[in-house]
Amino acid sequence: MKIIVAIKQVPERDARIRIDSSGKWIALDDIEFRMNESDAYALEEALLLREAHGGEVIVLSAGPERVGQTIREALAKGADRGIHILSDSLASYDALGVARLMAAAIRDEAADLILTGLQSDDLGLGQTGVILAELLAIPHSSLILKIEKTDTGIRVLRELEDGWFQQIEMPTPALLTIQSGNTRLRYATLMGIKKAKTKELRSVEAASLGVDAVPSVTLDSVALPSRQKSTQMLTGSPAEAAAKLVEKLQQEVRVL
Amino acid sequence: MLIASLHSAPAALAAFPLPALAEPSPFPLAEKLLLAALILVSAWLFWRRFGIVLRRILAARKDADFHLFPLTRRIWDFFWEVLCQAKVIRERPLPGLAHAFVFWSFLAFALVTTNHIATGFGFGFLDPAGFFGSIYFLLAAVFAIACAISIAGLFFRRFVVRPVWLAHKDNTLSPESGVIAGLIFLLMATYLGAYLVPAGSAAALVLWWMHTLTLLSFLPLVPHTKHLHLILSPATIFLSRGGFSRIPPLADDEDFGLVTGKDITQLTALQVYSCVECGRCTEHCPAANTGKELNPREIILGLRGYLNEYGPASEEPLLGRYNSQQAAFQCTTCGSCEFQCPVGIEHLPVIVGLRRGAVNTGEWDDEHGGKLFLALERSGNALGMAHSEREKFLAREELPAFDGSQEYCLWLGCMGGYDPKGREIIRSFVQVMRFLGTSYGVLRREKCTGDPARRLGNDLVFQQLAENNLENLAQNKVKKIISICPHCVRTIAEDWKAYGTPPEIEHHSEFLARHQARLPKQPTTGTTVFHDPCYLGRYRNVYDEPRSVIAASSTLVEAERSRERSFCCGAGGGLAFLGEEQGARVSETRVEQLISTGATTIGAACPFCNTMFRDALASRTDNAPQLLDIAQIAAAALPKTSQPNTLQENP
Repeated sequence: MKIIVAIKQVPERDARIRIDSSGKWIALDDIEFRMNESDAYALEEALLLREAHGGEVIVLSAGPERVGQTIREALAKGADRGIHILSDSLASYDALGVARLMAAAIRDEAADLILTGLQSDDLGLGQTGVILAELLAIPHSSLILKIEKTDTGIRVLRELEDGWFQQIEMPTPALLTIQSGNTRLRYATLMGIKKAKTKELRSVEAASLGVDAVPSVTLDSVALPSRQKSTQMLTGSPAEAAAKLVEKLQQEVRVL
Repeated sequence: MLIASLHSAPAALAAFPLPALAEPSPFPLAEKLLLAALILVSAWLFWRRFGIVLRRILAARKDADFHLFPLTRRIWDFFWEVLCQAKVIRERPLPGLAHAFVFWSFLAFALVTTNHIATGFGFGFLDPAGFFGSIYFLLAAVFAIACAISIAGLFFRRFVVRPVWLAHKDNTLSPESGVIAGLIFLLMATYLGAYLVPAGSAAALVLWWMHTLTLLSFLPLVPHTKHLHLILSPATIFLSRGGFSRIPPLADDEDFGLVTGKDITQLTALQVYSCVECGRCTEHCPAANTGKELNPREIILGLRGYLNEYGPASEEPLLGRYNSQQAAFQCTTCGSCEFQCPVGIEHLPVIVGLRRGAVNTGEWDDEHGGKLFLALERSGNALGMAHSEREKFLAREELPAFDGSQEYCLWLGCMGGYDPKGREIIRSFVQVMRFLGTSYGVLRREKCTGDPARRLGNDLVFQQLAENNLENLAQNKVKKIISICPHCVRTIAEDWKAYGTPPEIEHHSEFLARHQARLPKQPTTGTTVFHDPCYLGRYRNVYDEPRSVIAASSTLVEAERSRERSFCCGAGGGLAFLGEEQGARVSETRVEQLISTGATTIGAACPFCNTMFRDALASRTDNAPQLLDIAQIAAAALPKTSQPNTLQENP
């Protein structure tokens, strides 16, 4: 099974976010970057499939030089080789543009399966994966928790809302966007890092892929969420306070 | 005066003749040839086994970081631990002293035995009637009596008293120990017997031959049994890595720790063959004492079994037939085993080495361990908390940022920065520093020192954290660090050296003890038992400082296991972050020991001990003692006005 995993490098989750001078994105100096969380689960699924059925896992990522570090991390965790779409101005592309770059970069690979995370931790669009499937003209399914190989293709478990799940049988090649949290992520090892140094990491200039950089969707501005802290003290005896709490949870927060 | 008395000595001897050792008449040629043949057979039998062991040790991988120089420490260790038998005696006084007498007798007998064999060939050089000879033989006789009594006592202890630590894992005792004890006793008896028979008599001849045959039977037995330590352990102690729990650097790109026989180094092989199976390591091991699979002696003997079967060039995994992964990951790295070992075995480099082998190659698959490593990778702290939580704490407590102008960089650590109980310790310690007018600051960005990764054998995460922190400290021009966590102190002071030069660091107990005189006096109330954290005591040799802090306001009592014999709380070695334990919980066992002192307060000096004891105490329904860090004890003496109004965690 030849599996391509598309991963994104995003600012670390609890980074101190500041808006940059353009007002259109966050200031990236003094920020540490990580592998997008659901992409890490996509990678884990790919590695598990390869361990069970053999084949190859290729990681694909786009962005500036620093993205190479995240690709190396994926190689260290066990991916076989990497493709880096090199671009210092990836933010000027929208999801369609990025998907077009990716499609151009991997069209010749003829993979059996393409996995991406469900959505990115920074933009959270959840678009790039499914657009990529459309561009490659292969079927896709999103929010996947489990993948099994069958004689004819794959069987996947898809998460719906409200505790419902869906089982889908699909042919391959196919693209799946993976939900976080269903497997245990492996840790990076010293041996993995050493091996990663000898693995192939191919860089492709974004400009060489013949994709129009003019976006159809443009980002107007970004803003930090305003924080509202309202603490309410529930008074009375413990029994009264508990009754008030239950009422609030039912009527106001609606979690019960 | 001195010269005169020396000259008159032979005259005095003539007047009061000392008892003389009886020697047989000179041997005919046939008897000499027989003796020579027997010696050759004995030596051949000895070498047939010893040669194999020696070749295995020498064929092992060289220790990349071994330096023979400086010799001063080695000579001191040899003098103190081998010649004086200091460790043997100190940790088990009575059997230790008995062992020492056997050892010293062997030393005294070196000359006697050489002369004994030489006599058989007609070249005896000590005259039993001569001045030096008569005195030396008598001295040897005194040692022989002490040795005979000692070895009989040790035999009685092993086979009648039967301390559980001496038994093998199947609860049997090695019969060869009894044989060896019998031979040593016979050696001494046949020597002393020669004082009771006339020189040149048939009895003298029989005793001479009995002594010789005992000796020649003893020699080949040595390399076949744990008595190999007679030959190897002086070398093991002399050549030891030094330091405590010193984890050697990885040699090259192919080195991931102890994975296969090829990773066993010469020093490790030497130590493995030196083990005398005394079980002191097991006796003090918190895992072995709470029903876990880990037994440090069996780890060492497991490696010996591996080397005997596969040899040092084998690619067979080390964690397999002879040692188990489960046992290797039950170690709290408390270091009791290494501290106790009388023959210089360094257990921690072995146990951590096995973990490195399993983690650096990804073989170790543990839910909690994996989570911990990911938390360290992604969040930079062992608790997996968001960095912003630490920032909030800094703001709430008004802890100043370190800007290079302050004397100390206050290192919060994961516990001090994120754990509620750890934060209370920081808060108290800060109150003391404010009272004393000590200037301090806190780094805005601080990552875990990498201690749990280091002890669990994850070199990748440890290196990343160490390098990242070292760079940050250098950028901020930190010269002196102070920390409430002995694990941080040890890791920064020693383990980081693999990747740079860490700033000076001390534990808050050392700081508090130094400033004790400037803190307000208060009346002594209640009794407090101090629990020595492993990483402060055995790892840093700090025992008195925290006690002096406690003694200022409370009556100090000691637990049965204290100071260098302290019993671990169960948190070390990354185990605080792993899942439920096999057998009894180490923390509950230790709390039981502390409570049995009857103290009203348990004094702690480590946030990890603190959190373990807090949980163990929480499960008790009876009147449990209160649990306080020494910083909290010291802060309690401060006038109330100097305390900020933030004693409680904000809601």
